[in-house]
Amino acid sequence: MEKDNLTICRCEEVTQAEIKEAIKLGLTTINEVKRFTRAGMGLCQGKICWRLVMSLLSQETGRPPSELMPPTSRPPTRPVSLEILSRTKRTTGSNCG
Amino acid sequence: MRIKDHPILGPSEWGKRITLMIDGQPIEAFEGEPIAVALMAAGRRVLRYTKKRHEPRGIFCALGRCIDCMMVVDGKPNVRTCITSAEDGMIIETQTGDEQWEKG
Repeated sequence: MEKDNLTICRCEEVTQAEIKEAIKLGLTTINEVKRFTRAGMGLCQGKICWRLVMSLLSQETGRPPSELMPPTSRPPTRPVSLEILSRTKRTTGSNCG
Repeated sequence: MRIKDHPILGPSEWGKRITLMIDGQPIEAFEGEPIAVALMAAGRRVLRYTKKRHEPRGIFCALGRCIDCMMVVDGKPNVRTCITSAEDGMIIETQTGDEQWEKG
């Protein structure tokens, strides 16, 4: 209990207490916890916190980590500016130059 | 505060001395080193503040994965300073939360 103000999701500032509360309300997957608390929705898309959320889910529900699917992070894997994407040339297929 | 002689990597080699502007104050840096490194060497560990609780953040992962080190660099927000090379005359500002681009 004394660790409940621990920050789990650094990007969206979600604490351990908020995640535990979400799990108590009946959420059972990382994606559900993400949609309820915003943990994993920030700029790093859960890179830092998803395993911590999985660990809390496993701890609170008793389900093993192997049963808990990773969350659906949104691409790109690393931030890429649209300028770089607009300059990318095709290197495969019939129209490549 | 920079490592001058590493026990495994050996003596450090630094490039040209340059000046960066941090929130209006000039600091010395070496060309090409990460901006966050230059800031830490200048004694500055807090790089930004969070949106909700206004908490300080600095270097955390140092790999470009965690977004804690983001600052506004030459007007561009959300630049990960741990993996961005310092260039002479760069203008760097503290940001709060996920900053927006300036309009106009």
